[in-house]
Amino acid sequence: MSGGGKARLSFLIPLAGFLVLAGFATLALVATLSGERDVSQLPSAMLGKAAPSAPLPDLLNDGGGVSVTAFRGAPLLVNVFASWCAPCRAEAPALALLAEEIRIMGIAYKDKPEESRRFLAQYGNPFAAVGVDRDGAAGMGWGVYGVPETFLVDAAGTIILRHAGPIDRRVLDEVLRPAIRDLQ
Amino acid sequence: MTGMMSRPAATCLVALLFVLALPPAQAHAVTPEEMLSDPALESRARDLSKQLRCLVCQNQSIDDSDAELARDLRIEVRRQLAAGAEDDDILAALRETYGDYVLLNPPVSPATYILWGAPLAILLGGAAVMLAGRRRRDAAADDAAADTIQAAIPAPEIDRRVGLAIASLVMAASLSIYLVLGRADLPARPLSERGPEIAAALKQAEAAAGTRDSALTQARAAAAETPSDVGAWLRLAMAAAASEDRQTEMAALQQAEELTNGDPSIRAMRAEAMARAADGQVTVPARQLIAEILAVNPAEPRALFLSGLAAYQDEDYASAVAIWQRLQASSAPNAPWMPLLAENIADAARAGGISLEDGSRSVMAPPGPDRADIAAAAEMSDEDRQAMIESMVEGLAARLAEDPSDAPGWQRLARAYEVLGRPRDAQVALIGAADAAPGDLRAQLAALEQMVVAQLEAAFADAASRLLERATSLGPHHPETLYLGGHFAKLNGDPQTARRLWEALLGRLPDDAPIIPQLRAAIASL
Repeated sequence: MSGGGKARLSFLIPLAGFLVLAGFATLALVATLSGERDVSQLPSAMLGKAAPSAPLPDLLNDGGGVSVTAFRGAPLLVNVFASWCAPCRAEAPALALLAEEIRIMGIAYKDKPEESRRFLAQYGNPFAAVGVDRDGAAGMGWGVYGVPETFLVDAAGTIILRHAGPIDRRVLDEVLRPAIRDLQ
Repeated sequence: MTGMMSRPAATCLVALLFVLALPPAQAHAVTPEEMLSDPALESRARDLSKQLRCLVCQNQSIDDSDAELARDLRIEVRRQLAAGAEDDDILAALRETYGDYVLLNPPVSPATYILWGAPLAILLGGAAVMLAGRRRRDAAADDAAADTIQAAIPAPEIDRRVGLAIASLVMAASLSIYLVLGRADLPARPLSERGPEIAAALKQAEAAAGTRDSALTQARAAAAETPSDVGAWLRLAMAAAASEDRQTEMAALQQAEELTNGDPSIRAMRAEAMARAADGQVTVPARQLIAEILAVNPAEPRALFLSGLAAYQDEDYASAVAIWQRLQASSAPNAPWMPLLAENIADAARAGGISLEDGSRSVMAPPGPDRADIAAAAEMSDEDRQAMIESMVEGLAARLAEDPSDAPGWQRLARAYEVLGRPRDAQVALIGAADAAPGDLRAQLAALEQMVVAQLEAAFADAASRLLERATSLGPHHPETLYLGGHFAKLNGDPQTARRLWEALLGRLPDDAPIIPQLRAAIASL
């Protein structure tokens, strides 16, 4: 039985394969449960592309138009929000802080204008201007798939960062602020 | 054996059970008004929709999904089809904005080589293993044929060990998952058992709502009758708060605010109402109001509490603890918010990984009155209450005599003695607090101030010089150090030092400080 030792160990090959797969699955599970990995964060295809610049109706001034082109020449934060979105309320204080560091343009996504205005009165208005995206068509142009979403646009109008979901302390200090600092 | 089924019949039954167990055919999310009138275009739209991922639900196509975004994408696909776009153009446009992820069948690219290659690799690997095994078996059969010995090969030891290892691995994995996901301590109680309990709670809630609403109606009438009575508006605000009528509450508070010319505590009540209206979030407008209130009255308890809460909600736990501790230090020890405050501080400290050092004991489990004590005290006669307070104070004093390092404990004791009208004991406690925290400038100054206010300088001369020395080294330019230093220098018959310190203080005060004339007069009298 010269091949005996080999024969005994070879049945371990599928087992080893299984363990490797199980290991990856466990790592992913642990990362998800511990909050390190967020399954809702999808890669954005819009990074490095020009920000959509079609003008939107102005929420706060009748008859006006709001577009990123008006903000060219300096970095701009674009925040997509809605009054019906609970995480948008949670990120209002963070946006108020950011408003002191960078200009912010708001896009009121699929929201009745009067309710957007009430939302801004109750939770504060950090925006330099707010465009109305009543049917979500502008949001689709930005690749938005849920509110809130926040984009960082550089002085030339190129999207350089996208964050889906509310801005919490960690996102504020570890993602947005460093990126804004890099631009300025 | 009449009861037994024939074998084919049993197989049929099993197959039928499988079919029945399948989920019913899924109802499509596409609604008739979305559909295109041209059947050819509509069928192309359906085909495209089935290839596109709903980015919200992530594992459904937009054809199946009821999500808003899926509907928008379906409409967009049909809009482009109606405009004459080719299928590939539509998919390419969506890939531009949403990335490859929007396609349910990811395209072959370096990033997806493993994904597409894995099945093939596994198939080839399996075939290789099978081939190798077959060759070995053939070789073994040849050996056996040659030796013509068919001995029973004992089960290899390694099998059992590997088996055990796998079993324990599975156990460990399921245990750790259970520890993360499961909570063995949560009682599992079927809803049906709780029926009567729920019914009773509902009934009670209805009755309470009735009482609240009639109280609100009465308060509204009272405020309308005496519109210049601040109290009536405040009662209306409270009744409205109890009925969760935010608009009335806010309007009543605004009335009370106007009548009192913007009283800080009433404005703080409005800030609290704003936070309650936002489900407890201290909103940005509420924060502005709080900042205004604290600028007028830095010790306004409600505003301080909300300010700490705002920091807590920003996950700035260090500030939350600091602000709440400031409120704790400036509140009477039996203030009704103290137990909640202590809980909040402990909570914020835990969340921020902040150790509460010297104050840890007092914060985690505040000695002194808890809720039950306060409730009991409310029902007592004045003498009984006094006796209860004194016995609690003696308890605290005895504990501090044993462990004099508890600075916040000394501070509470000092406040208690002040409330009881025992300034001398309060002074001793403040000195205890200052000695327990020799690096705390505030504690040194507080004890020295008390000496000046209660005119106990002579009685505690030793302590005074000790505390002053510490204050001078901790904060030589602090206005209070300068003022108190001058005061004690004058008492000790050293007018030159007193003059030097007070003049230094004059140089540091803003020009409009109200104390300046008084200070000038004091310097002149030296």
